[in-house]
Amino acid sequence: MSSEHEDTPEAETEYQHAEDDGPQPEKHCGHGRGGMGEEVSRKEDKRFITGRGNYVDDIKKPDMLHCEIVRSPHAHARVKDIDGSRAEAMDDVVAVLTAEDLLEHDLATMPTLMDDTQDVLVNEKVKFQSQEVAAVIATDRYTAKDGAEKVEVDYEVLDPVVDAQDALDAEAPLIRDELDDQEDNHIFDWETGDKDATEAVFDAADVTIEEDMNYQRLHPAPIETCGAVADWDPGMDKMTVHMTSQAPHAHRTLFSQVSGIPEHKVRIVSPDVGGGFGNKVPIYPGYVVAAAASFVLEQPVKWVEERSENIQSTGFARDYDMTGELAATEDGVIEGVKVDVLANHGAYNAAAQPTKFPAGFFNIFTGSYDIEAAYGSLTAAFTNTAPGGVAYRCSFRVTEAVYLIERLVNVLADELDVDPAEIRRRNFIPSDAFPYESATGWNYDSGDYEKALDKALEMADYEHYREEQQRRIENDADKLLGIGISSFTEIVGAGPGEQCDIAGIEMFDSADIRVNPTGNAVLRIGVQTQGQGHETTFAQIVAEELGMDVDNISVEHGDTDTEPYGLGTYGSRSTPVAGAATAVAARKVRDKAKSIAANELEAAEEDIEWDRESGEFHVAGAPDRSITITEIAAGAYMNHPGGEEPGLEATNYYDPPEMTYPFGSYIVVVEVDRETGEVDFEKFVAVDDCGNRINPMIIEGQIHGGLAQGIATAMLEEVTYDDNGNVTGGDFMNYLLPTANEIPNFDTGHTVTPSPHHPIGAKGVGESPTVGSPPAIVNAVVDAMNHAGVSHVEMPMTPDVVWAALDDAGLAHKPAQNVEFEFDGASGSADD
Amino acid sequence: MTDEREITLTINGTEHTLEVEPRRLLVHAIREDLDMTGTHIGCDTGNCGACTILKDGEPIKSCLMFAAQADGAEILTVEGMEDLPEATDLHPLQEGFKAEHGLQCGYCTPGMLMAGKALLDENPDPDEETIRDAISGNLCRCTGYQNIVSSIEYAADELADRTATDGGAVTAEPGDGAGPSADDAATVCGQSDCCGGPDADLFERDYPTEGTDT
Repeated sequence: MSSEHEDTPEAETEYQHAEDDGPQPEKHCGHGRGGMGEEVSRKEDKRFITGRGNYVDDIKKPDMLHCEIVRSPHAHARVKDIDGSRAEAMDDVVAVLTAEDLLEHDLATMPTLMDDTQDVLVNEKVKFQSQEVAAVIATDRYTAKDGAEKVEVDYEVLDPVVDAQDALDAEAPLIRDELDDQEDNHIFDWETGDKDATEAVFDAADVTIEEDMNYQRLHPAPIETCGAVADWDPGMDKMTVHMTSQAPHAHRTLFSQVSGIPEHKVRIVSPDVGGGFGNKVPIYPGYVVAAAASFVLEQPVKWVEERSENIQSTGFARDYDMTGELAATEDGVIEGVKVDVLANHGAYNAAAQPTKFPAGFFNIFTGSYDIEAAYGSLTAAFTNTAPGGVAYRCSFRVTEAVYLIERLVNVLADELDVDPAEIRRRNFIPSDAFPYESATGWNYDSGDYEKALDKALEMADYEHYREEQQRRIENDADKLLGIGISSFTEIVGAGPGEQCDIAGIEMFDSADIRVNPTGNAVLRIGVQTQGQGHETTFAQIVAEELGMDVDNISVEHGDTDTEPYGLGTYGSRSTPVAGAATAVAARKVRDKAKSIAANELEAAEEDIEWDRESGEFHVAGAPDRSITITEIAAGAYMNHPGGEEPGLEATNYYDPPEMTYPFGSYIVVVEVDRETGEVDFEKFVAVDDCGNRINPMIIEGQIHGGLAQGIATAMLEEVTYDDNGNVTGGDFMNYLLPTANEIPNFDTGHTVTPSPHHPIGAKGVGESPTVGSPPAIVNAVVDAMNHAGVSHVEMPMTPDVVWAALDDAGLAHKPAQNVEFEFDGASGSADD
Repeated sequence: MTDEREITLTINGTEHTLEVEPRRLLVHAIREDLDMTGTHIGCDTGNCGACTILKDGEPIKSCLMFAAQADGAEILTVEGMEDLPEATDLHPLQEGFKAEHGLQCGYCTPGMLMAGKALLDENPDPDEETIRDAISGNLCRCTGYQNIVSSIEYAADELADRTATDGGAVTAEPGDGAGPSADDAATVCGQSDCCGGPDADLFERDYPTEGTDT
């Protein structure tokens, strides 16, 4: 998985952090100017805590219209007629749009990120509940909604199919009958690894284990839903769309392709975005409808989803039904891994991942382990459910892969009666084996898995809890103790252009630094923040590389008119790709600064040295003949060296030579209530290694948030459907985000294993906790019941699910006999 | 179009008179009619708390109340926090969220600040469990809540320090929209975990709790 790069800069790891004592900026990094490793407080905070943020729904333009979308109540139905006349007759309703209107402008369909074609408004047939059927444009939000209720749609209801396995049945209703060569609901088959070699390993193995597991359908559910304000300027022939976008440049290119408006006449602005988590990577019909309406009506048009629209129609995540197998020696050395997956992709193939990876990076399923042979196969199916398969805080199906291998390793440990920590230790890729090529072809950059596990075990007081667990079993205690481990490896930073693209565009990223005459600087980046703190961390990279104070650097992002082209923020790619671009651009500035320094100090350029500690340039051997970047900036504009261009700026487009591989070990201790099936978190330890660290405070914040989402996955969340295709978990009443009462405090720790190929040795961190924590939590709950033969519990592990597992294993305790409940005068005991 | 009616809302100390349809939600009146967009909308069903404001000192979800129901009310939104008597440059809660990294995308933050303000007005020295209960009607997808709890603890400590320094001079005054007052009519729905999230039992009130007819 490598590509040729002539100008890949060598990694500089001279400011690697102390590994065990946490960052000590004054000693090891940052140099007190807010560079690498300093806990710089966030530049973006002030506008958010004072109510001055500017999210899409905050945007108000003169004569702005509002768009409300009419959605199908049916999951599968032919649209026989749409009558918008009653809506159109309303005062203040400006237009009712249907597929017919969009066809006139060639906007009736749009490409998905996996090159499928999705109706913007349903042309003939509804394929999932809440699909977009018509749009009402009115002068205000309330009237648009009134109008939508007056649009009459005549449906011929068809039998839906919701389950992926059912969808592949020969008798199943055909969902995509508009596609010429589509005769069933099968989308694609995919395989990875060496089937024959893996079968041979399994045939000869001492031990094999197998486990079925479902990674349920989730929704990223950022607290801000998706929305847009489209504004066609007929005077400039220019379309400006403010939208909730995690990838404004890619969206500009797609918008241009879909609309036919030349790309230089399309401006996408991603203003403040209230969380993304992968939900805001795809393009949705609402954006296109708003833009089409603005183009036709020549007025700005706002479209903002309600929560139920967000969950029911925009990109879901996961929905992988997996069977995994391991082959091992009797000593627990894993020799082979096999996996078979059935993937529910919904009504369109609209997964969000690099186009050459239809199953994303799922083939990272060998995990942190040195496994000789691996084979995976996957079948994807259309169903009458919302389209999706987005990378929800995940680098393209890595979450599913990590869940699979970390669960399987525990099942093997159970089978062999080996401690789950010990079995991991026996199988880790050794720290001296990097760079390591996995059986499925990935080239891991660096890792020290045992060190992270050891640290986590120590932080968790592992042995103590193992003893306590045994004590409770012996005492038949009401609350069982479970201890779960996950030693995950992520693959992030997509990615090398030879392998990775979105709609054909290689997944590089970019940075542009301009140092002003007065010595401060503006950094423009091709990635965009939805809360990750780019305005701070990217300024820290520049502060580190140019010896500037972080306060003197502004970071701009999210506007395609001013920022260099980039592929956006998802897949933990901002730091690995745009962070690298920023460091390289800063080093280019530094190179030019040397010649200016030489001119100012009247010395030869080769005699000028840059000192990272002081952030100054000085003449070799004469440290007092020094000059700062501020003085150099003045020189660049007011006294520039002859033969050189004035000014002090540089741009870098960075094509990463490899992915990066963050890792970590999480240990979760839970109490399982044998009466109620409730699970309480007793201890939650997370040790992460994301290479060199830019801002420990922000990293810890990312870890906390990701762990909370991991708990949400393991314990609460699922988008559910009934057999008729009705979404039964499609709003915040039924799709249960955890509150402060469900999330415990976390103990975080870290090790530092820099990426050898990244200019600042960083790897990316935002997704590790969401990827790594669900198996740790499930392992913990299973571990509490394992002594009675429980080998697996499906997510979400709600109390009823856990109680059923307890009951099946004969572990359930009945409530205390003296508890009585009163119901309307009639009394009954709880064990009725 | 339904008939509009004239209402008066005193927001952050400034009186606004506006014409609203009876069905217009308070959050839309604040955001769209009065252009104070710091208060957000995240779910439309009263679950997320992004729209939390203080109405006559009580935390309520402004997406669950009609603007007309708030006629005559004193309202505090995030935009008013810097002008509260206990604020210096920023309010201690705002300082706390910044110092403790209590926010990431910032979307839930105004609602969290309001929930925190309501809590500290009632209980200046809450323990962690009380804080978690008080913000349990406000969803955050980014932070995992731990730093939000720390942010509110930071503010409680800061306010306590100032009170000690100033001999208790800096507190919310009745009628300034900053805290509950026996003179203000308060509207609460009476349900636990509904209006503004905090468990209603947490707040022992000595002022009227019945709804104001409008």
